[in-house]
Amino acid sequence: METVLNIKSLSKSFNKGKLKVINAINLSVKRGEIIALVGESGSGKTTLTRIISGLETQEEGSIELNGVTVANDTVFIQPEERNIGMVFQDYALFPHLTVFENIGYGISKNEDKTKGVETVLQLVGLKEFKKRYPHQLSGGQQQRVALARALALKPNLLILDEPFSNLDVILKMQLRDEIYNILKQTNTTTIFVTHDMKDAIAIADKIVVLKKGEIIQYGSAKKLYRKPKNLYVASLFSPVIKLSSSDLSCFNYKKINSEEYALRLEHIIVNKALKYTTNVFVKQSVFLGNHYFNTAELKNGTVIHFKSKHKLKNEVLLGFKRKNLLELC
Amino acid sequence: MRKAYKIYFKRDFNKWSIYTLAIVLFIALPIITIFFNLFSGPGETWNHIVKNVLLEYSLNSLWLIIGCTFLTLLFGVSSAWMVSRYKLPFHNTLEWLLILPLAIPSYITAYTYAGFFDYGGTLELILKSIGITSWKINITNIFGLILVLSASLFPYVYVSARTVFLYQSGRLIEASKTLGAGEKTTFFKIVLPIARPAIIGGLILVLMEVLNDYGAAKYYGVSTFTTGIFRTWFALEEPSTAIYLSAVLLLIVFAIIILERYQRGNKSYALTSKSDIKLPKIKTSKRNSIFLFIIVSVPIFTGFILPVIQLIYWSFLTFKDVASLSFFMIALQSLGLSLLTALLTVSFALLILYFPKWNRIESLKKSSRIAILGYAIPGAVIAIGVMIPTLALDKWMIKALKQLANIDIGLIINGSIFVLLYAYIIRFLAVAYNPIEANHLKIGNGLAEASKLLGKGNLKSFFKIDFPLLKSGLFSAFVLVFVDTMKELPLTLILKTYNVNTLAVKAYEYASDELIMEAALPSLCIIITGVLPVILLNRLILNEEN
Repeated sequence: METVLNIKSLSKSFNKGKLKVINAINLSVKRGEIIALVGESGSGKTTLTRIISGLETQEEGSIELNGVTVANDTVFIQPEERNIGMVFQDYALFPHLTVFENIGYGISKNEDKTKGVETVLQLVGLKEFKKRYPHQLSGGQQQRVALARALALKPNLLILDEPFSNLDVILKMQLRDEIYNILKQTNTTTIFVTHDMKDAIAIADKIVVLKKGEIIQYGSAKKLYRKPKNLYVASLFSPVIKLSSSDLSCFNYKKINSEEYALRLEHIIVNKALKYTTNVFVKQSVFLGNHYFNTAELKNGTVIHFKSKHKLKNEVLLGFKRKNLLELC
Repeated sequence: MRKAYKIYFKRDFNKWSIYTLAIVLFIALPIITIFFNLFSGPGETWNHIVKNVLLEYSLNSLWLIIGCTFLTLLFGVSSAWMVSRYKLPFHNTLEWLLILPLAIPSYITAYTYAGFFDYGGTLELILKSIGITSWKINITNIFGLILVLSASLFPYVYVSARTVFLYQSGRLIEASKTLGAGEKTTFFKIVLPIARPAIIGGLILVLMEVLNDYGAAKYYGVSTFTTGIFRTWFALEEPSTAIYLSAVLLLIVFAIIILERYQRGNKSYALTSKSDIKLPKIKTSKRNSIFLFIIVSVPIFTGFILPVIQLIYWSFLTFKDVASLSFFMIALQSLGLSLLTALLTVSFALLILYFPKWNRIESLKKSSRIAILGYAIPGAVIAIGVMIPTLALDKWMIKALKQLANIDIGLIINGSIFVLLYAYIIRFLAVAYNPIEANHLKIGNGLAEASKLLGKGNLKSFFKIDFPLLKSGLFSAFVLVFVDTMKELPLTLILKTYNVNTLAVKAYEYASDELIMEAALPSLCIIITGVLPVILLNRLILNEEN
């Protein structure tokens, strides 16, 4: 598969160099791939996408699109010439233009505008809304118009900036599937920005985890889930507890290879005979809807949390399977 | 360093950077001119001025600043609080009536009161009719000047204070009351400190107008820096000394601005959470509400009603003498000049707002702020700052034409309408820029960015997306500049051409010739053009806050 986007050693800082927001990032995206950029607020996700699209300039590094350099120390191709589609977090629909006009806005005069607009309207299922204005649409409909507008250009690369942050849970799940199908159907190379790992897992082929402007880890959801590099990456998927070698000794686990280990709460098994187990006294068992959240103390005094289906009290047997123990760098 | 140079010039420097620099230079030229001309030394009269009148200019300007600060704060803050907090009779009408004094230029208020209190004036006639013959008040002095300027300019403080009182203090007052504080304590300890930045902002505008004033100060015989600049330029014919006086005045202006920033320090006056509570009005006893109504009516009466009634009366008396064909020509010229200025200034405001955005060099992106410079600089200073480089350009062109084509012509630019328009643009750019920028902030950059990512360049994105959405800001800007140009005096007096006259200058000329009553008709024409936009401004303020 050919490479659509190639970023080399990209760096950017604000406040005259005092605040480094992007630090020597290298990233390649192949045609048709959907890449999720995940990270907490301030990790540099949005800044990275703005630099890729040309809305901001980088200080160091280069960006290539389809083998053509669009930005480096001496070259800068304007955003309007990069053919990168972008769906903004607040959609940025033009309030004074109808749905039809919004979508047709970027289609060049040489193309058949009506055909182009009708095609993408069909794709997003909004054909009957073409004469409406943005304020006459629901949030989900506005989202789809914004996507259609970006897709109408048949972009080299599509960037979705927090596409689901303004939607309620049910609508989000519905739109997530729709957007995934549309992107795969059109084979659109996509980068989408999110702080919610569930969205990334649902849609992305690969996930890029950013923290403080650096790529911490890059890979498929499965790889990041099973082999996270550090506690931060591990905790993006589900709550984890950190375990030291002393903590692991309580479970009779002696094969210590790494300095840091972690276990996902859902992988701590209660009252089952396993190879690595320990007895603990349950201090607190709190009902949280579909499970109980329990607090106990290991023999060495470390406080440990775990989940259970039922309310627990007194002494219980806790254990884990070797394959679920996360060995962190 | 080499890498920074490579990035800076090879990658980031584009045509918009050049246009930005050109616009910045265009706006900053008057100040740069004055600064550079300081190095060529003052004229012969500078020593005389320093010895004999500089102290007088300084002290009078200082008294004006202190006096107007006190009175505009008193009128502006008290009336803003009363109409915001209490249910007064006709409070909706009072709210916009309190802005009306802005429709009357301060020099016209000054002439009106001078005539009202003068020998044989309206007050003397009224007092005579009730049997009082010996009571006379001389208002044409520094105290009178402070009174009339304050009566005319207090709305700047009123508008700023009212906005804060109405929309940013509701929740805080509630919190204060739950903590046991009464109305008075809450006002002085909570409401007033919160409103302080806004009130100071309004006060700065007042002080700029006070330092800019020429007509009122001249008429009242108070020597200030602006009257000194005029005197040095026209009577003594010493441009270099006038430049030195302009520089001193500029220093005072910058000192005020810096002092304001310094006293604000690092304090934050922003609420930690958004308050959606509009200040609730209190119902008082009938006696109290009438009493408060009278107090609030005083600045309306002194700042608008009395001057307008007086001017209408004088207009009736002198209509036949003043309303000639030449007067209507002057009115048309005023109108045309104001319309043209408004159009050009709004255009420049758009340029200074967008060019820096479209350029990629970070340090140039903030250069839009230069737009506000002109309003802080007194008109007389701008006039001098504009005349010197245009005169230099004229001399160069005359020399070049003589050498190249042996053509002998007079001044081309200087003495033409272009210099006047250039000066107007510098002076009123901030007036146009502020509402357009406020409108633009609401739209945000997202739509333009979306347009660029859809293949449209900067200009196309502007005309297709931003421009249609900026209509209210552009309209406000146009109206405000139009009104301010109609009212403008000091700058016009220095730079107007022989065949161009304005209503403001005409009113000044009549007043200077002691024909106060004849000055009424041109004054009323100026006021009429000012009233409707002031009401519009009030509506826009309310709509924006809602």
